[in-house]
This record gives sequence, structure tokens and C-alpha cells, in this order.
Amino acid sequence: MTKAGDWKSYKRVLLPPVKDLHHLDVYQEQGGYQALRAVLSDWKPEDVTAEVKLSGLRGRGGAGFPTGLKWSFMPPVKPDVPRYLCCNADESEPGTFKDRQLMEYNPHLLFEGILIAGYAMSLKACYLYVRGEFASWITLLQNELSKAYDAKLVGDNILGTDHSMDIIIHKGAGAYICGEETSLMESLEGKRAYPRIKPPFPAQSGIWGYPTTINNVETLACAPIIINRGGDWFAGVGAKKHPGPVLYGISGHVNRPGVYEYPTGMLITDLLEIAGGMRDNKKLKALVPGGASVPVLRADMIDGVTMDVESLQEAGSMMGTAGMLFLDEDTDMVAFLRRVARFYHHESCGQCTPCREGTGWMENLITRIDDGEGNLRDLDLLLDLCDQMEGRTVCALADAAAWPVRNTIKRFRGDFERRCRPAAWAVNA
Amino acid sequence: MADFIRNPVVALPDPNPASHFSKEELVFTAEEKEKIAEYVAQYPTPDGAVMWALWLAQEKFGFLPSEVMRLVATELSLPYAQVYGVATFYTQYFKEKKGTFVLDVCTCFSCQFCGGYDILAYLEEKLGVKRGHTTPCGRYTLQEAECLGACGSAPMMQVSNGPYAHNLTPEKIDALLAAMEAGKPLPFVSVTLPQDEDEMGGNRRTDAEVVEHYAVPPQTKRTQ
Ligand SMILES: Cc1cc2nc3c(=O)[nH]c(=O)nc-3n(C[C@H](O)[C@H](O)[C@H](O)COP(=O)(O)O)c2cc1C
Ligand code: SF4
Ligand code: FES
Repeated sequence: MTKAGDWKSYKRVLLPPVKDLHHLDVYQEQGGYQALRAVLSDWKPEDVTAEVKLSGLRGRGGAGFPTGLKWSFMPPVKPDVPRYLCCNADESEPGTFKDRQLMEYNPHLLFEGILIAGYAMSLKACYLYVRGEFASWITLLQNELSKAYDAKLVGDNILGTDHSMDIIIHKGAGAYICGEETSLMESLEGKRAYPRIKPPFPAQSGIWGYPTTINNVETLACAPIIINRGGDWFAGVGAKKHPGPVLYGISGHVNRPGVYEYPTGMLITDLLEIAGGMRDNKKLKALVPGGASVPVLRADMIDGVTMDVESLQEAGSMMGTAGMLFLDEDTDMVAFLRRVARFYHHESCGQCTPCREGTGWMENLITRIDDGEGNLRDLDLLLDLCDQMEGRTVCALADAAAWPVRNTIKRFRGDFERRCRPAAWAVNA
Repeated sequence: MADFIRNPVVALPDPNPASHFSKEELVFTAEEKEKIAEYVAQYPTPDGAVMWALWLAQEKFGFLPSEVMRLVATELSLPYAQVYGVATFYTQYFKEKKGTFVLDVCTCFSCQFCGGYDILAYLEEKLGVKRGHTTPCGRYTLQEAECLGACGSAPMMQVSNGPYAHNLTPEKIDALLAAMEAGKPLPFVSVTLPQDEDEMGGNRRTDAEVVEHYAVPPQTKRTQ
């Protein structure tokens, strides 16, 4: 028995199999907005937060921070100080495409989750920050949101109670860094999206200096499920220390890529089987378990590893966004790392020298190796560069760039060495 | 004075560029002003509406030269420098004129190993233009994009900051280009979840215009 339990009979809850669930009336027929009704009539805000704490829900945006705890960081309500929720739908982490599908197929679950979170933290407005590339999905969301407004589910005096809350959709314009929470806040304020130094943390000083909480789309979509089924039900799904349903975004050299909903704690090998196995019966070479920022795992490192914080940490990686990229034996890891480095070089906001210059040097050095002109000592230079970047910058993008570089070189050192010029030349006597 | 101070190594932007639009063109209509006012009302300060206003301006003018940025700044009563700063931070705001169709081919790592660069090379050959450039006829701009959040349906691209085209093949590209030539709007494509296929026999949205499925990605030849 794995941590995910009897996953073969798992029934989906984030994306339950119901036709046209994105329509408000279908969603309501299926018991939608019942959690909101219950919360508004019978729950105290702090009880909602307590239930989320009990559920053990951890953020699905990458860092895996306990959500209930994050909500409890909001300072006590002061009547004349506004407070905000931001829903992070910037989804730009390479390898991640789950939030987009959730917004497409079950938008009202997200809205309901936002409203419940808003009630729990006694706030009146949520900015839903969607990346600009998702223009089509923004239109879909706007349609459904206006229906929810018409049905008095969002806006003033929700369902006839004295609780009011607005959801405002904000359209980004193509910058990965806007997914970082403080950068997202700067972007919302209409500035260049330079991340801020923490502390102060968003709960103390967020957008426009007011208390703010930031959560990922999938995180907030879990809130109605926790209210409906109870925190203890949620805590019993999947891995104990990292429970709940997760959307696994599987891509790469598999027969059936796509977004799959299963509990946390799934064996990686089971997920590979679910995704149809490797294409053309090739062997697995490498796996990126949670988006570009997390360390790559070699095929021989995944046996018995499950998809939850604990197990992945032991294996030498992280859960990240659960966007899993499977790569087969023909994959050129040098070309892979070159592209990853290019991504971070392109997306660095340029505020901190170690990140702005470091990501550029990374790309240059790896390009040189990929072009066959690298020296063996470049590999050590790269590793040293990672040490120089990590933990020395305003935001975690520099760390996120250093982790894959360091670990890909360490774990596939042979691949890199073969592409470098030899350190010593044979001498003809 | 040292020579490099008089002749800076970096080309400075022209302080008085020629305007791309006439005075009569460079205005927002009453409706557009109303729309911008609606955006402004959604934020505690007008600053928050900058991004929406720039989107509106880009849709109207096609791109954002400095005179359009100034127009947005005036409309929102913000300093030009702030609007300029925002417009130049984000890749989706076009600072120079682009083709009628902007093809953003994703080549980030999932797409890289699922044929993204092969698609890019096919388009380069077919359109006769290198990545990052616009065809002489001004119809197409070909660009490399970072992950567009559709890695499961790689290789994929986005057309003119709008619809996505998934699971690309050369044949599909030909069909897409033909549709664009004929002036047909590209549809929104809904990609079916594998579990929906198994449990519901297909896509869950009965109103989806065009439905596709996640498929085995193509073999990769190029990785850059
Ligand atoms: C460089 C960088 C990029 C990030 N991008 C995203 C993103 O695209 N989407 C997201 O939800 N979180 C992203 N995050 C994580 C957020 O900063 C934040 O932790 C998260 O939105 C919190 O939500 P959660 O607690 O619900 O996970 C990013 C973090 C960093 C450092
Ligand atoms: S670490 Fe990089 S992305 Fe983050 S603030 Fe510094 S320069 Fe910007
Ligand atoms: S890597 Fe191409 S869409 Fe994510």
C-alpha cells in the first residue's frame, strides 16, 4: 500500500466528472456554493481558518507553505484598513499547466474558494492575477464571474448576508517573475514588477501597504472541498504530512501526457504508468518532478519515491508545482540545461547583481559546453557560480536558477564531461 | 571629454521620435475612456489600471510607441516614466510594430524535447524569416516564447497574444496559416483531460468549439 492509499478507486473532487461543470447552474445542481452558504450562515471566520489548518492543506503554488497557518498571519481587523487576497494564476513555471485547466473546467470552484478564504480572513476584495498569455481563459473567467455576480454570489451582500466581497480579474502581460508573490503585488500596483525584500511579509504590508494574503489557484480551490467534506476527510487523503488531492501536470516523453487528479503521495512509477508509460518503450533518463526550478532526478533515483514534500526531499528534490516532465534515454541533458538557463536569464528581473549577471553567465557557460568549446573547469565554475547566487538575492528566482543547474551537473556529470574539452592532452613521445 | 562619453557605446533612444500616428488618430474614444475609468475604479489608485489600459491601447493601435504610452499616461494622470517603465517590463507589450499575426512558438523545456524547435524551424522555412523577425510583407512575426502553460500538448504556439494552437505538426501549421490568410479567426481549443476521456468519453464542455486530446508528443530533431 502506498501513501496515496487505494488510488485506483480515487474519485476526483477538484475536477469531478460532470459535464459542463463550468456553467453556474450545473455547478449549483452539483452542490456548488453550498460550502459558501454554510460558512456564511453558521461559521465564524476563525473556525474556517481552523478547519483549513486541520486539513493540513499546503500551498500548491510551489513553496508548499501550510495554508491555514498563512491565513492566520493576517493581523486583527481594523475597520478603516482594507485587506486583500490575491489569487496567483500567473502559472509560468515551465512544466506547469494545471491551473489553466482548473480555470477552464471548474472556475466556480475557484470563485467559491476565494469567497471562503475572503470570509475566513474578513476581507472584501480579491485580485485574481492571471498571466496575460491566458487571454482566452480570462474571457471565460469573466463570463462566469459576471454570472456569479448576477446570482448574488459575489459582490455586495452575498446571498443576502451582510458579507460583501469583490473578485477583480487582473491581466498580466508576460513576465514569469510576476508569479513571485511580492512581484505580483508590485505588478498589481502598476509598477515594474520588481520583487520586494521580505520582511515585511505580505500579511503585514502587501498591496498598497495593506495586509495581503497570496494563494495559488489550486490551493484556493481546495477550500470548498475542505468545508464540504471536513478537514479530517481532507487530511486523510494521500500523504499524511502533505495531504489532499493534487493536479499532476504530466508532460514529456510519455504516451499520455495531461493533467491528472490523484491524491498526494503517489508513487512516481505509478504516475508514469497512468500516463501510459514512456513512449516507444524507451527508458526513462530523467524526471523533473515539479517544474523547472526543482532539482532533476535521475531514473535510478525514483524507485519508491512518492509525490509529497517528505519523500521528494529525501530523494533530493522538491514537490514544486507537481508539473512532472519525463525525459527518455535519448535526451541531451546539456541542451536541456542550456534551455533552462536561458529561461532564467530571460526572466530575471535584473534587480540583483548575482541573479542578473549570474543567470547570464550560466547561460554563456552552458552554451559554450553545448557547442563543444567548454573546458572541464567550466563545470566547477558553474557549481561555484550557483553557490555565489543562492540566498544572496531579493527573491527566490536566483535560487530557482541555481538548483537545477547544480543538480543537473552533479547528477549527469558524465554527460557534461563528455562534451567538454579534455583537461590533459595525450602527448606523442 | 573622452570619446566614449560623446559617443556612448549604447545607442540612446531618439528623444524626439517621429510619431506613427496623426493627432486625430492619437485619441481615446468616449467608450474607451469609459472602459479605462471602469478599470481605474477597480483599484485604490489609478496606477493599478496601467496594465489594463496598456492592453486596451495595444489592441487599438497595434503596438505601443512612445506617443501611445504618453496618451495612456495622460489618460491616467500618471508620469510618462511610470507607464514607460511598465510597458517595457513585460514581453507581451509590443514596443515596436509587429506583423499582423504574431506567432509565439513555445520552445521552453517541455516543448524543446517535444518538437518545439522543429516547429520553429518549419515556420522559419515556410515564412522565409528567422525567429525574432517579421516577414517583409508585414503579415507574420515569428517569435520564440517561454513556457506558455500548455506543456502537455507540446509543441504549441500562441497567435497574436490570443488563442493557443496545440499538438502542432507541419500539416497543422499549414492549415493554420491558410486560415489566417483567409482571415478566419482562430477558435478556442479545449484540450480534454485524459481522465475525462476514460470516465466521460470525451470533453466535459459541450460548448467547446474545437476539442483536442493530449497526444503522444512527436520525436524531436532539433533542440535549439
Ligand atoms: C520566481 C518565482 C515564481 C513563482 N511563480 C509562481 C506561479 O507562477 N504561480 C504560483 O502560484 N506561485 C508561484 N510562485 C510562488 C509564490 O511566490 C507563492 O509562494 C505562492 O503563490 C503562494 O501560494 P500557495 O501558498 O497557495 O502555494 C513563484 C515563486 C517564485 C520565487
Ligand atoms: S533574484 Fe533575480 S528575479 Fe529576483 S529580484 Fe533579484 S534579480 Fe529579480
Ligand atoms: S514548455 Fe511549452 S508550454 Fe510549457
